[in-house]
Amino acid sequence: MNKLIRAKDITQIYSKNGSVMVKALQDVSLEIERGEFTAIMGASGSGKSTLMNILGCLARPTSGEYFLDGENVNNLSDDDLAKIRNRKIGFVFQQFHLLPRTDALENVELPLLYSERSDISKLAQHALEAVGLADRIHHQPSELSGGQQQRVAIARALVNDPEIILADEPTGNLDSRAGLEVIAVFQRLHAEGKTVILVTHAQEIAEHAHRIIRIKDGKIAGDEGVQNPLNARGELENLPGETEVMP
Amino acid sequence: MKTIRLTTNAFKGLAKNKMRSFLMMVGIIIGIATLIVILSITQGANKKIMARLNNFGPNAIMVHAGGGKMRGPSSVSEANLTQKDLRDISSVEGVRIVAPFQVKLNMPIKYQNQFTTATVMGAMPNWADAWKRGVTKGDFISTEDVELLKKVCVIGETVRKELFADGNPIGAELLIGKVKFKVQGILQKRGASPGGSDFDNLIVIPFSTASRRLMNQPKYIAMMRVIVDDPSHLKKISQQIRQVLRRNHHLSSDEEDDFRLRSSTQIVKMIKGVSGTLHIFLLLIAGLSLIVGGIVIMNIMLISVSERKKEIGLRKAVGARSKDILLQFVLESLAVTLTGGIFGFIVGILGIKIMELATGTPAVISWEALALAFGFSFIVGIIFGVQPARKAAKLDPVEALR
Repeated sequence: MNKLIRAKDITQIYSKNGSVMVKALQDVSLEIERGEFTAIMGASGSGKSTLMNILGCLARPTSGEYFLDGENVNNLSDDDLAKIRNRKIGFVFQQFHLLPRTDALENVELPLLYSERSDISKLAQHALEAVGLADRIHHQPSELSGGQQQRVAIARALVNDPEIILADEPTGNLDSRAGLEVIAVFQRLHAEGKTVILVTHAQEIAEHAHRIIRIKDGKIAGDEGVQNPLNARGELENLPGETEVMP
Repeated sequence: MKTIRLTTNAFKGLAKNKMRSFLMMVGIIIGIATLIVILSITQGANKKIMARLNNFGPNAIMVHAGGGKMRGPSSVSEANLTQKDLRDISSVEGVRIVAPFQVKLNMPIKYQNQFTTATVMGAMPNWADAWKRGVTKGDFISTEDVELLKKVCVIGETVRKELFADGNPIGAELLIGKVKFKVQGILQKRGASPGGSDFDNLIVIPFSTASRRLMNQPKYIAMMRVIVDDPSHLKKISQQIRQVLRRNHHLSSDEEDDFRLRSSTQIVKMIKGVSGTLHIFLLLIAGLSLIVGGIVIMNIMLISVSERKKEIGLRKAVGARSKDILLQFVLESLAVTLTGGIFGFIVGILGIKIMELATGTPAVISWEALALAFGFSFIVGIIFGVQPARKAAKLDPVEALR
């Protein structure tokens, strides 16, 4: 009955150099149901990253209300926000943000370090298996391809079993094959019931989602369902060359 | 659980960046090593002081003829203490023994064709009690020897070695200056005198013989060793002796003492004055190394915080609270300083051992040294680690990830 995400009249204002005020978001309201696969689309500077930071509890809006899982996030302390990010949100970034000189397993364990879980290496191993990297757990990021690195990052986002996967341009640094492989993982996670929010500027990536919210100049410019979402797995099969075996 | 994980991660982080970690540690290693060496030297010196103090006797007061500053024993040439002084000091309450003796340093000694020089003391039989030092062989000076002005002597170990090598000296006749003396005993070994010189390079002869036959000082006494019953009354008795002597010597209130009194407390002051300067210098080096080492660590940590902005942002994004980041960076700083402290401790011990081989001063390695190494490493780690850690903890995750 309650929506997983309910944002009301979110406005975010930055002061640049102390004087010039920049309105990154203006009265944005949106709702996302549990289990939806939503793409947030917009050009760079449109405010989509700001929106993602707010939805991911990394930042607080200047004004407006944000309810996550029925809880008003505005009133929470920094420590409580950290706890929510740890438990309910899994982030995937464009630049992967893996720790260098640290193997895949330890990278995936990272969110668990800040939880009360004790069986952390087992959980991390499961997460790596879920993204098809069971044989790469002791590889360091420098020994992995871009697509593999991003899948390690997805495993890291999954390891705490969060409600929401929040991906910010996850294919931006990947070639089209690796990008499709990553999207295929998101589609499978969605099929398994996870809520996935995909921030992107590319129409062909956004069309893998079931709903596209368009942001322009800090405002919502469009919000529609996708009639026939693209199937990343199918597209991969039509690509020439070998595709990595996915579970 | 969380803290344990963060701690192991902090040490793992050190291992991942060996060169940088080592450079961060150098200052700490030098500082702690110096501290360990100083501690060992200090404890060695304290042992020496205690040994000298025991030689001097914690319940002894030395009365020197002649005023002025403290220096070695008073020679007969400046003797000005009288038999009346001796009697009056003996009657001061709490005084157990008063042993008068004449002293002449560097007297030429000859036996057959062997020459040496030694300190010669003319002593009463109670000298042995006053110094708690008798003979290992033969007889000490007796009352009869003193009464009859006998030309007999008791020799110290160093003199025995110089003149007789491995032969038996008892019964032998040697020349002190131009006077012949018969050796009748060998003194117990003592090592250093209260003044620090060789206390075994000594010949003891009867007091009367020294005064009349050898040193030409029939009237006055050069030195007295006073033994008191209770060391805690040392100061009070010293003052009483001073009054007695000033009265006997008819000194008016504006005249300086024409004698000197020394007791164990002054000896300690004297020795500490010499070694203190060196200790302060070394402590300064250790302190500076630790401060410089700490600043180097702080500097590198601050750079590291800037370099690792993305990592900090990511950790915050996946659920690290500010205090988790603070803890992580403080632990990393502590990992550097504590590892540095352990290396410093090892280097310090090696240094002491090398000094032991080079100088023969025994190395003192104590648990205090280890505790000190750990304590200082910890303090430096906290002091210089907190500032960078706070900078890291304060980072905004959105800014950091950008």
